[in-house]
Amino acid sequence: MKVLLMGHPNVGKSVFFNRLTGAKVFESNYPGTTVDFMKGWMRLEGEEVELIDVPGTFSLDPKDLAEEVAVKMLEENRDSVVVCVLDASKVERGLYLALEIIEKGYPVVVALNMWDVAEDKNIGIDVEKLELILGVPVVPTTAISGEGFKELVSKIKETAPVKIEGVIESASAVSAAASAGKEGGGESAAVSG
Amino acid sequence: MRLRAQVKKEVVKVPLSVDERWDLIEKISKQTVEFGARKHTLKDAIAELTVKPLTGIPVAIAVIYGFWAFFCEFAGTLFTDGFMVRLFDEHWLPWLQSVFPGGLGNPFYALMVDAGHLEEGVLVASDNCFEAFGMLTSGLFIVFGVVLWAILAFYLIFAILEDIGYLPRLAVLVDTVLHKIGLHGYAIVPTFLSLGCNVPGVTATRPLETRKQRFMMMTLLAIFVPCGAQIGIMQDLVPEMMGWIFLTLAIGYLGFGFILNKIVPGKSPEIIMDVPPYQMPTLKNIMSKLWIRTSGFLLVAVPFVLLGCLIVGLMYLTGAMDWLAAVFGPLLMVWFGVPSETVAPLIAGFLRKDLAVGMLGGLMEQGIMTPFQVFTSVILLCIYFPCLATFALMIKEENWKELLGSLASLIAMVFVYGGLIHLVGIMLGVA
Amino acid sequence: MNETEEKFGQIYFAVLGAVALAFGVAELIATVPGEASWGIMEMSGIFLPWRAIILLSVGFFYLSSVKNFAEVHQLAKAVMASIMIWIVAGIAIWARIAGSIPGEETWFNSLEGFLASYAPPYCPEMFLLPFSLVIVYYILKEGETVK
Repeated sequence: MKVLLMGHPNVGKSVFFNRLTGAKVFESNYPGTTVDFMKGWMRLEGEEVELIDVPGTFSLDPKDLAEEVAVKMLEENRDSVVVCVLDASKVERGLYLALEIIEKGYPVVVALNMWDVAEDKNIGIDVEKLELILGVPVVPTTAISGEGFKELVSKIKETAPVKIEGVIESASAVSAAASAGKEGGGESAAVSG
Repeated sequence: MRLRAQVKKEVVKVPLSVDERWDLIEKISKQTVEFGARKHTLKDAIAELTVKPLTGIPVAIAVIYGFWAFFCEFAGTLFTDGFMVRLFDEHWLPWLQSVFPGGLGNPFYALMVDAGHLEEGVLVASDNCFEAFGMLTSGLFIVFGVVLWAILAFYLIFAILEDIGYLPRLAVLVDTVLHKIGLHGYAIVPTFLSLGCNVPGVTATRPLETRKQRFMMMTLLAIFVPCGAQIGIMQDLVPEMMGWIFLTLAIGYLGFGFILNKIVPGKSPEIIMDVPPYQMPTLKNIMSKLWIRTSGFLLVAVPFVLLGCLIVGLMYLTGAMDWLAAVFGPLLMVWFGVPSETVAPLIAGFLRKDLAVGMLGGLMEQGIMTPFQVFTSVILLCIYFPCLATFALMIKEENWKELLGSLASLIAMVFVYGGLIHLVGIMLGVA
Repeated sequence: MNETEEKFGQIYFAVLGAVALAFGVAELIATVPGEASWGIMEMSGIFLPWRAIILLSVGFFYLSSVKNFAEVHQLAKAVMASIMIWIVAGIAIWARIAGSIPGEETWFNSLEGFLASYAPPYCPEMFLLPFSLVIVYYILKEGETVK
């Protein structure tokens, strides 16, 4: 098993990577390109797991060389868990990439990074509801202070692939429930599963 | 399941088109994202200030200054110099000297109360508890006169910092620096704890993930981190040298950590710490921590210090110490530039570092050492061997290969670093 | 906090910051001879260089908090600066307490000796201490707005 760190450029992914990995980190070029990426190890329940900091990408439709490498790395590591790092203050943009990865059938953990910045901007995100809709773990993190990382790591082993149809269904279901004046947590959880 | 029935089943084609995906995102974000929901509180803003390097470093300096200055005033000024020195030197020692059977020259009296020392060939009685070297005088003075207060002050501040939530933030702050030597911010916890006592420090290396990290951490702790007992005694004896001593040890810690990281095989993954929000510490919690740690310390320290006094006393009486001084004296003088009398504290240091520094104090009072020799000896005492209690714990925690590695690093370090200090001293013209 | 309070805070902490900065510079200069005194103010001790660094930071923290003072992150800087003063001044007071209890020849100090321990000169941080307490008002104000 490997863990891939994916997300847009400038979502604090490198600080994020440093928080998760140890001091022994390798920077290498993707074979045949000038794109470099970082590789390190993290510890998951007593097991050494390789963590790869995939070059930042906006979507899985490559627009430049770095994005192309990112997509290739994702395809090459079919057996990995993807930690999708989102800028919590711009969730919508980040969700696009997260949905694409979910759609491809990878187990995903969504990290709402730069949580402190989002709070600064008065943006509140209902993490539980988001988790419910997506069907994958969602963890607010602040890479600079290390908040949320313990929880994030604990979720990596828990996550499993979900079907995009399920996501669509639960997104509508929850909204239907909400519009019907119901905020049924337990019930809609059944839907997302 | 009831909910699902309410929703008209849409036909989903996979993969989604770009538009479909954006539609979905809008649906999701409408339900989960809220503007103007929560504002940062003052507490959040302060938490942020303490982890960002530009503001966090000055804050850390202020906190550590507070830590150290409180430690000195509480343990040194108030208890040790204010009351304990007087109690032990002016009352306890003279009283024992007058009532204890035997008297100067008697072996049992020497072991228990006062070994005395030779002045122009005449055995004279000691006038302070650093020199007397009996179990009931120096032994008790070191534990209850000096070290107990140092430990108490240390653990008090440590518990407060821990409970407020500052410690994990300090760890985050120093993470980047410590990465360079293959360690992590978390290393600040065992290091700080070891400044109290190396035993809990070594225990605190357990959360470290790999054997490499644990080995490195334990070795560095055992060599370069003086314990509170030792610091307390040093502060009492050579307050003016403390800055230089800490600087020398810190350079050793970082430099040797760097080398170890390069030569020890294995990986060092990050240790992920929980960073709790700042909170008011509760008195009850602090007191119970203080009690557990201090009593734990006394249980280890008292028997070892008394035993150390006894063994060193016996070695003097039987002539073993003179023999060792004669054998190792030349090595000490040539390589480290310290007098052969240093053998005795070094032997005592196997048992207790505080006892050993205390003995050094005795030698200082007799005017045997130059200030630079005192400095070198103090550093040597720090780095040459962990105390017996720490060593016993290391035997338990490390496998034999790692233990040999630790010992080898230790020996190499003592000779290289000790020699280096001597060399610097020669070059500066103070050795 | 209202506009008047914000305005007052801005001016007040700008001045306090400038004074702290000046004291910090003075302490830094005093590290060269090792000690210096000015009226009933005295700068000495083995930690003087560190205290100079702390005081300089305090000055910078206060000054940088002035712009948009009511904003919580800005206010936090002033709070942090005050806390740093409390640490250093608190230690200075604690040192006097610790030194005042035991006597020279007797176990406990005489009343005169005890009181004499608290006589001037004082270190710069102790002069800043009462003025830094104004921040408590703003902390309480901030607490109210959150509720």
